[in-house]
Amino acid sequence: MKRLRALFLLPAWAFTLLLFLAPLGIIVAYSLQTKGVYGGVGEPWTFESYVRLFDPLYGVILLRSFAMAGAATLGCLVLAFPLALYISRSGTRKTLLLNLVMLPFWTSFLVRTYAWMFLLRDTGLINSMLLGMGVISEPLPLLYNDGAVVVGLIYGYLPFAVLPLYSNLERLDKGLLEAAADLGAKPWEAMLHVVLPLTAPGMRAAGVLVFIPSLGAYLTPDLLGGGKSMMIGNLVQNQFTSARDWPFGSALSLALMAVVMLLLWALLRRDGEEML
Amino acid sequence: MKRLLPLYVIAIYAFLHVPLLILCGFSFNSSKFTVWEGFSLIWYEAMWNDGALAEATWNSLVIAIVSTVVATAVGTLGAYGLWKKNSRLLSGSMYLSLVTPEIITGIAMLATFQWAFRYLHLQLGMSTVILAHVTFSMAYVLLLVMARLRTADPALEEAALDLGATEWQAFRLVTLPMLKPGIAAAALLAFTVSFDDYVITALVAGVDSETLPMVLYAMARRGANPVVSAISTVIFVGLGMLIVVSERLQKA
Amino acid sequence: MKRRVFAASLVGLGCSRSKLPRLNVFNWSAYVAPETVPNFEREFGVQVRYSIYESNEEMLARVFSGNSGWDVVFPTHYIVPPMREQGLLVALDALQLPNRKHLDPAFVRPGLTDYAIPYMWNATGILFNKKLQPAPESWADLWSPALRGKMTMLDDPAEVLAAALCKLGLSLNSRNPDELRAAQREALKQKPLLRAYLNSEVRDQVVAGDVMAAQLWSTTAQQAIDAAPHLGFVYPREGFPVNLDCAVILRESPRQELAHAWINYLLRPEVSARVADSMRTATANLAARPLLGPQTRNNPTLYPSTEVMARAEWFETMTPEVQRLRDRLWTEIKSA
Repeated sequence: MKRLRALFLLPAWAFTLLLFLAPLGIIVAYSLQTKGVYGGVGEPWTFESYVRLFDPLYGVILLRSFAMAGAATLGCLVLAFPLALYISRSGTRKTLLLNLVMLPFWTSFLVRTYAWMFLLRDTGLINSMLLGMGVISEPLPLLYNDGAVVVGLIYGYLPFAVLPLYSNLERLDKGLLEAAADLGAKPWEAMLHVVLPLTAPGMRAAGVLVFIPSLGAYLTPDLLGGGKSMMIGNLVQNQFTSARDWPFGSALSLALMAVVMLLLWALLRRDGEEML
Repeated sequence: MKRLLPLYVIAIYAFLHVPLLILCGFSFNSSKFTVWEGFSLIWYEAMWNDGALAEATWNSLVIAIVSTVVATAVGTLGAYGLWKKNSRLLSGSMYLSLVTPEIITGIAMLATFQWAFRYLHLQLGMSTVILAHVTFSMAYVLLLVMARLRTADPALEEAALDLGATEWQAFRLVTLPMLKPGIAAAALLAFTVSFDDYVITALVAGVDSETLPMVLYAMARRGANPVVSAISTVIFVGLGMLIVVSERLQKA
Repeated sequence: MKRRVFAASLVGLGCSRSKLPRLNVFNWSAYVAPETVPNFEREFGVQVRYSIYESNEEMLARVFSGNSGWDVVFPTHYIVPPMREQGLLVALDALQLPNRKHLDPAFVRPGLTDYAIPYMWNATGILFNKKLQPAPESWADLWSPALRGKMTMLDDPAEVLAAALCKLGLSLNSRNPDELRAAQREALKQKPLLRAYLNSEVRDQVVAGDVMAAQLWSTTAQQAIDAAPHLGFVYPREGFPVNLDCAVILRESPRQELAHAWINYLLRPEVSARVADSMRTATANLAARPLLGPQTRNNPTLYPSTEVMARAEWFETMTPEVQRLRDRLWTEIKSA
């Protein structure tokens, strides 16, 4: 029994050790070294990179990333909740409706982000339509700002919010709503005082499922933010290319991972296995 | 309130699908501006004639197929092994690799490859991309198959063993067939994730391993280019059909 | 087991596509004529893998490890000494480069040409839409609130700091930390007014009218003006940087003879002239000048007059400490 199991686990272990854990170890090592002149790392070993993380100069970008990820999460939760509610009450069409939600997600993320570039740029569809209708005389700067990035994040991760909310709502006992109505509650009161509190675990799961990838987003702020609206992911990439500061980039990466792991642990502790 | 909900739902579905449909629609526009000037296939022709694009697509397909096959095998076997007896470190690493931002895994892998290549005289190329893709796809496969296994009844395998089968036979003839739909779904996920990947691929690709997302990204960065719309439409329709077909097969 | 064999054979299929000797060239975008590479492939019976980049940093990041797979790359002149110090380059064999004699002696600079062959040069200025009245004339015009959201700067630490330093009346090669910080403050003041930091990618956007003014290299600007005559280009009054893009051979290259042959091919007057004409670049090849079409030869954007060039300054390589400071200032600008 044991030998077969060990054999089966061997390839998975090999990939995990060599291509996931070892790389993380190297990043830890880099974060403790000093930047080489044109890139790379060198002696001496120091904690300088970690100290720099607390420098208020970078505080702006960290705060902005949290704010944007938070805005995207809030947007997703607000948009997804009514949708999940509707699907959970749709009876036979549930699978179809769910598939329609997931379908854009299955196709290329790059394509979906580009679709928003196509819509939002100065010569894009929204501006040409508004200009053509005479509503505005000059194109609106819809692209290359924080707002565009948040819209892109919401668009990309909305399906992630719908699924946990849906599975939570689906498991709700319909009898509770009936009981509330019997006791004289109006529909919106029942929603507010009965349904919403019971969907808290679903909302927590949806929130974390959107917040974590949004915080670490790279492509969306890169394409929709124009090099101005940088998030942590872009800053990390910047450190490994034009700023040539691998140690700082590594320290930043590890800090980001720490935040992500903390959030995940907090969620799992509360809601445990049922989320998975 | 009740009447507003369906309207709202329609609006949300529009939000989800209309941007893509618009992009696809305008890929047939004869002019490169966002004013409809007539139906035309010129951008598809330009796309078809682009040699670099053809090579990149070929690379993407090869990488996706190879990494899917390997990741599915490794992930399935790993899930089975973990089902028998869990290893917190391994399953924890799997979860961790799923939530780690791609830019970080990509950079970490690049750093590892560059460090290793100091001693191995190799280069970044198709093999490094495939290795990277297997690593992240494997986590998806493993977790999906493990979820399936949790609903399985271990008593079936035990019964097989009691009747004289070896462990390998029990796995191959009892558990594996039951897992097939789950494995198929996982393989599909691995394929789409690999085919679509940009961030990690761009970091570990070498001279000869440009992929379709890399070409697409470079073109998108360069500005409004209707050929990008044409490529996007093809990708969207292609992957979409793949999903639909596989769903049908699974139901059958 | 069977699965792995299958997988391996697929990989092998993908790799063995051509038996011709290969050369891997990494160059700036739009820097060869359409026929340059195919002609070389035909004449020498090789296959060239030709890829492009948009910034020195992008190229350096790939090449830095010493096993990127590229044979010939094209760094800007001030990057060559550090690359040499890092051991990334090979000294060029003059015997394999007889066409070196065609180079313009003005570009044969000390410490450079043993390792790098000047290829094309350009200078940085402002590309603008003629609808802007009055037309921009100086870097200071790119700090104007009237252009909010409609202008871009290059995504290049040296260029942005250079523009700020020139605006302050300082040398763009300043090594003085106070001066550099003053320049950084200027850049931070400008950042909210910018649309984005973009390199050649912005060309199509200026042509389309999305962007009204952009800090841009003369080559890219000329390509834009060709596509849209309502655009103009100006070399700022306060001074501007000059760049010389050079061809170098990487030490890691296993094909150094072929790499030399490629560079020698690019040094042919007719080849250089064709690139300059079709891509609107300014060539460093003196013998190519007479072969240029009249449009390129007398083009004020590509070949500015001597009075204009008097305001120019060549980028110099920085010492490690100054480079470190500049890099950190750039990170701070980008993260603000």
